[in-house]
Amino acid sequence: MIKIEGLQKSFGKLEVLKGISTTIEQGQVVAIIGPSGSGKSTFLRCMNLLEQPTDGRIWIDGQEVTDAKTDIMKVRQNVGMVFQHFHLFPHKTVLENLTYAPITVKGVSKQAAEQTAKELLQKVGLLQKADEYPTRLSGGQKQRVAIARALAMEPSVMLFDEPTSALDPEMVKEVLEVMKSLAHTGMTMAIVTHEMGFAKEVADRVMFLDGGYLVEDAPPSEFFVAPKSARAQEFLQKML
Amino acid sequence: MNLDFSQIAPSMPYILKGLQVTLQIVAASALLGFALGTLLALCKIARIKALGFFADAYTSIFRGTPLVLQLMIIYYGFPQITGYDITAFLAAVIAFGLNSGAYMSEIIRAGIQAVDKGQTEASMALGVPYRKMMSDIIFPQALKNILPALMNEFITLTKESAVVTVIGAADLMRRAYIVGGETYSYFEPLLFVGLVYYLLVMVLTLVGKAVERRLSKGD
Repeated sequence: MIKIEGLQKSFGKLEVLKGISTTIEQGQVVAIIGPSGSGKSTFLRCMNLLEQPTDGRIWIDGQEVTDAKTDIMKVRQNVGMVFQHFHLFPHKTVLENLTYAPITVKGVSKQAAEQTAKELLQKVGLLQKADEYPTRLSGGQKQRVAIARALAMEPSVMLFDEPTSALDPEMVKEVLEVMKSLAHTGMTMAIVTHEMGFAKEVADRVMFLDGGYLVEDAPPSEFFVAPKSARAQEFLQKML
Repeated sequence: MNLDFSQIAPSMPYILKGLQVTLQIVAASALLGFALGTLLALCKIARIKALGFFADAYTSIFRGTPLVLQLMIIYYGFPQITGYDITAFLAAVIAFGLNSGAYMSEIIRAGIQAVDKGQTEASMALGVPYRKMMSDIIFPQALKNILPALMNEFITLTKESAVVTVIGAADLMRRAYIVGGETYSYFEPLLFVGLVYYLLVMVLTLVGKAVERRLSKGD
């Protein structure tokens, strides 16, 4: 569960987030959408403190991550993140990419970590690539490995920052399929995305950000059919 | 022109013994330089301003003055202040190590900064602590990129080690000079050590290429 209260973030004089409060319940899948520059990526990146909020408080599973006393590294172990540009470790094999953090950070035995890693690779359909280096993979395969790498830490929350935006169109589907099946396992997910079809089908909630504000927050059945704000209507018109 | 290498033939083993001295100085100061360079590079990218200032000042001083001066200060100057004599070998290792540390710190800093920021973010997002991230994720990738530049630095170090001649360490260069003085002909022994230095650098180059091939396994 993620609880956010009065979240503000500025880069120098540029105010990106101007006060966002919301709660993402356990097991909820939330699609965060909005025009570029609306602050949606920053919003997501504040949740695991990749960006330090200027003001406001964030709790993950009841623990306040914005509290200076909280060990943020510990919190991050529990929050998986998937990036637009994958950021796999290029000097490690696919299997090592998955086992590195569990072994190094959580102290899992190599054997157990490899076992888990192989199961995850099986789930994302890439077990046969276990010993390859990331450069040998296609974009879609890289992103599936990146998802598996995040899952290897057994997080309770998964954050996705435009996970399909850097992919060739024919590879988008394979990544979305993996995310969809993950959603069905009851994982709490926050997804910044431009895939409206995916948001409509998989998300429990759609958050529409614009100009640093959370402008709308509604189930996709409401949001896509009858958006309330003029900005959302305009945005959807351009997108659909 | 009458070059007569036969007259220095008996002295060749004597000159070649200097190879060991040269190699020891180079290896020890390369290690010291690399360790120091890494440390300084970490200071330069650290958030704490004082560390960066210190590292920059260090680099500026050691790059801004002649190596031979640094060597002489350490060999002749420090005993005067401390009262302890220092061997030519140790003075050479310290001087070259401190000096090449300054150059290597710039190479390593650039290498670390050239690694995609995403690697840092991915490590942070996985909860990997800073030290682990640096040693396991960032540094190996940086090392791969800077290897040619580092090899350059090692090669420079190998050749510049000849400067220890001035403080009397019996390296390749010094021995060739001595043999030249004994036989009253300098050209042959100097040409001979020239060849030895050249071969040494060739070997280093080959080693560098081999390491580069090994590190590029992920490409």
